[in-house]
Amino acid sequence: MSDATNIGSKAEKRIAVLFLAPALLLLIIFRLIPLGWGFGMSFTDANNAGTARWVGADNYLRAVNDPTFQDSVANTVILLATMPMMVMLPMLLAILIHQGVPGGKFFRAVYFLPAVLSSVIVGAIFNVVLRYDGSLNEFLAVFGFDAVDWLGSSSTALGALIAVQLWSTFGMSVLIFMAGLTTVPEDIIEAARIDGARFWQRLWFIVIPSLRPIIEFVAVVTTVGLLTNMFGLVYVLTGGGPGTATTLPEFLIWLEQGKLNRPGYAAALSMFLFVMMAGVAYAQIRIMKRNAEV
Amino acid sequence: MAVNSKKERRGMWAAAVPMFLLALTCLYPIYFALNNALKDNRGYILDRFGMVSDPNFENFVTAWGRARFSEYFMNSVITTVGAVFVLLLVSSMAGFALAVLRFPHRKLVFVLILGALMIPVQVILVPFYQTIIATGLLNTRTGLIISYTAFFLPFSIYLMTAFYAGIPRDLTEAARIDGARFFQVWWYVMLPMGKPALLTLGILNTLYCWNDVLISLLVLQNERTLMVGITALRGEYTTNVPLLAAGIVLAAAPIVIIYLLFQRHIVAGIAAGAVKG
Amino acid sequence: MKLKLTLTSMLALSAGSALAQDLTVWDWKSGDPATQGYYDSAKQAYEEAHPGATVTFVVQPHDQYYTLLGTAFGSGQGPDVVLLHGGSQTQSRVGALSSLGDAAAGFAGVDAFSVDGTAYAIPLTIQGFVIYYNRALYEAAGLDPDAAPTTWDELATVCEAFIAQDAVPCFAFGNKQGFSGEFFATLATASTFTDADMAAWAAGDLPWTDPKVSAIVTLFADMNARGWLQEGANSTAKFMDEYEMFMRSEAAHTVGLLSDVAHWKQFGEFLGDENLGAFAMPVPGAEVANLPFTGGIGWAVSASSENQEAAQDLVKILTDPTREAIFAFDTGALPANPDVDTSGLSSPTLTHILGLMTAQPAGMAHSVMNPAVLEEWKRQSQLLLGEETSVDDAIAAMEAARLANK
Repeated sequence: MSDATNIGSKAEKRIAVLFLAPALLLLIIFRLIPLGWGFGMSFTDANNAGTARWVGADNYLRAVNDPTFQDSVANTVILLATMPMMVMLPMLLAILIHQGVPGGKFFRAVYFLPAVLSSVIVGAIFNVVLRYDGSLNEFLAVFGFDAVDWLGSSSTALGALIAVQLWSTFGMSVLIFMAGLTTVPEDIIEAARIDGARFWQRLWFIVIPSLRPIIEFVAVVTTVGLLTNMFGLVYVLTGGGPGTATTLPEFLIWLEQGKLNRPGYAAALSMFLFVMMAGVAYAQIRIMKRNAEV
Repeated sequence: MAVNSKKERRGMWAAAVPMFLLALTCLYPIYFALNNALKDNRGYILDRFGMVSDPNFENFVTAWGRARFSEYFMNSVITTVGAVFVLLLVSSMAGFALAVLRFPHRKLVFVLILGALMIPVQVILVPFYQTIIATGLLNTRTGLIISYTAFFLPFSIYLMTAFYAGIPRDLTEAARIDGARFFQVWWYVMLPMGKPALLTLGILNTLYCWNDVLISLLVLQNERTLMVGITALRGEYTTNVPLLAAGIVLAAAPIVIIYLLFQRHIVAGIAAGAVKG
Repeated sequence: MKLKLTLTSMLALSAGSALAQDLTVWDWKSGDPATQGYYDSAKQAYEEAHPGATVTFVVQPHDQYYTLLGTAFGSGQGPDVVLLHGGSQTQSRVGALSSLGDAAAGFAGVDAFSVDGTAYAIPLTIQGFVIYYNRALYEAAGLDPDAAPTTWDELATVCEAFIAQDAVPCFAFGNKQGFSGEFFATLATASTFTDADMAAWAAGDLPWTDPKVSAIVTLFADMNARGWLQEGANSTAKFMDEYEMFMRSEAAHTVGLLSDVAHWKQFGEFLGDENLGAFAMPVPGAEVANLPFTGGIGWAVSASSENQEAAQDLVKILTDPTREAIFAFDTGALPANPDVDTSGLSSPTLTHILGLMTAQPAGMAHSVMNPAVLEEWKRQSQLLLGEETSVDDAIAAMEAARLANK
């Protein structure tokens, strides 16, 4: 667009302000101001009872030396490393449904069900499935495998948690990919098919490239979910344990904030989480900006 | 794209088997919840996995009446419907301004809004609560509606902006040259055209608001929404799982029904909006 | 800020115009059907004494209770009356609570709600840990159910018998969320800590390398190494998977409570009173086993309440003999008010427990320790069960946590 049209008329500017005002006011009052407020609190020893003293950077120094916090950051890194899998699996499922896999309509309707459920029921179910004497171990015993304490040993607990998170969110991603597939040009695929391109070739050279914006979109939604929406599952399934194996920053913030009654320290941890997210957010905002053509 | 050869068709059937197993796991929660909702607590403790032997509907009656779910249900309906309405209105206005109108610092505003998406609830829990108190919105349904709007707004604005940016520019351009006022362009052109995206957002936001626990706990402390009511059934030590299961069936049923009715529209809305090729 | 001030003052005005003696109460108990009689009775008594006033009991989900309470206290907009756990959960919040003067004098376990001799809550229940055992399973294993173990060696003999028989584990043990570890901090020290030890421990002055303290780690690891504990303990929730296992007669022992749940009343209902027994946890190096108990939960008045007197009235009603008796009879909790007549609460196991409480009382170490150190111990206890750390490393980690949170 040219510079002349980029600025817009006076009336246009006025109406833009008017149309954006409600959204901006809400975001500033209920998200940005609280963020600033929390930033201030992170420099105090606030304990929810009367006076809070200024303690400078103490909370931040403490966090850097807190082994539990260090572990929770390491867990987050592992969590984020599984993001590609959480995007690719739903994509494959959506493509198969789109390709007319037998029972596709049924799958499409049913896959979304876990996404509807709150983490309370998801947790209750997987507690029963994954416990030492649970259904999964009973099932594996049929094939002669030894029982594994999925949620109770450090080597498997985080993996189990990630698997449950994948299970409870993949339906939403399948749905988004299904939507995206309707925009892939049929005629090009058809032409390639007539030219003798195999299924995997068509997938790799035509379908996936044209799905790129959707892949990016799903990656954004998945990452935001991983960083901010795991509390419910952690709380119900593992309580952060064993040890610190499934302790994530948001769970630790909750613990410090409530039970340990150290909101000042919790605020400092929150700021670390925010900065961590800001790094991820930078990449995502670029993607979203491009996709929204703003 | 149609399937090519016999070999590919066989491959499809082979893929259908694990996909079917996955589908079964997605249906299992329904069985789990219904089966346990029909047991009594003693029966559940003594036999957690088995099929219910003498089903009784006592838990549903208890949940609806004594656990005050009928009240909570109303609170949930009012706040969800209210919040979804406000969300659609505000995000459609903002999306229109960001995608169609020209004004200075447009990109900055967009980045600011997307940035707010990245602020986790936990990060701002206490200050957010204090803001709610300072604005006199504590313990009001209006307060909860506004809070939901504030929390789910960035994503909605993003989707609406993306959607509106995809509408051919000639259309809005023509309307502007015709001298149509911007407000009328929004009202008569953009809102009707945005229907698929609005429908998608309507359904997704209904899901988010209905299932929320944390924001509702903070804002609506003396009354309850359904999901908080269910969470409160989990005691300090004990959980009456059959009662919990009955509550969950009651709470999830409306959402499942809405999804099954509208699933085609959700796909269409996302296709048209979020994911422009 | 100006906006905030204006709005806050408006809010204050509207709150002031409400009926002066209306009270809001937060707890996590009033949703439980078994407590209905207790709450109804208290509400009625208060509203009769204060015509025109109403009490609203708001049940909060327990898992978010202290988070919510913190935000409410932090903003000075909390409820008038709150339910609290004894020990550090109350003691770390006294800045937001009103002193209750001598209203709590004479109540059992009031220490758990006091700082420097000032009581900040009136106890409703007494909480403590006792080992419950299944008498029928003792007989099946060829043991005498009337000869419950009184020393660590006798306990070892009993557990060896269950291991040899290989039918049920000696202990049902749920350490998800670290509860078994938490309870063990009290069990391992109840019979060895002196009053001076306990005071030093509460102040964070007792090092984890001290043999009396390191016993928490060594005994815990020892029980695990000897195979006394059920498998998969780290993914078993103490509440209520462990206890349900005990109630299904799938384990010989469990570390149970005196109040709320997992107590003589609940176990008796499932196993039959005649099949239930109880003893205090014996540890090596102590001649007799003490029974640890203290104030369980209690009612406090928020310092920010505008109706201090009315709120104190309500707290007194909630803990008077009539109300505590209703609570005790309906839930099986042990009442903290000494004037409650408990003779109607009868079971052989309870009689035995009450005897132990009189003869061998002890404090609860876990409830007075620094909460952050306790969290670290819960984590270490899980690692010990999974044999992912050594006893020495665990002691070192605990000592580091003690020093970091002193």
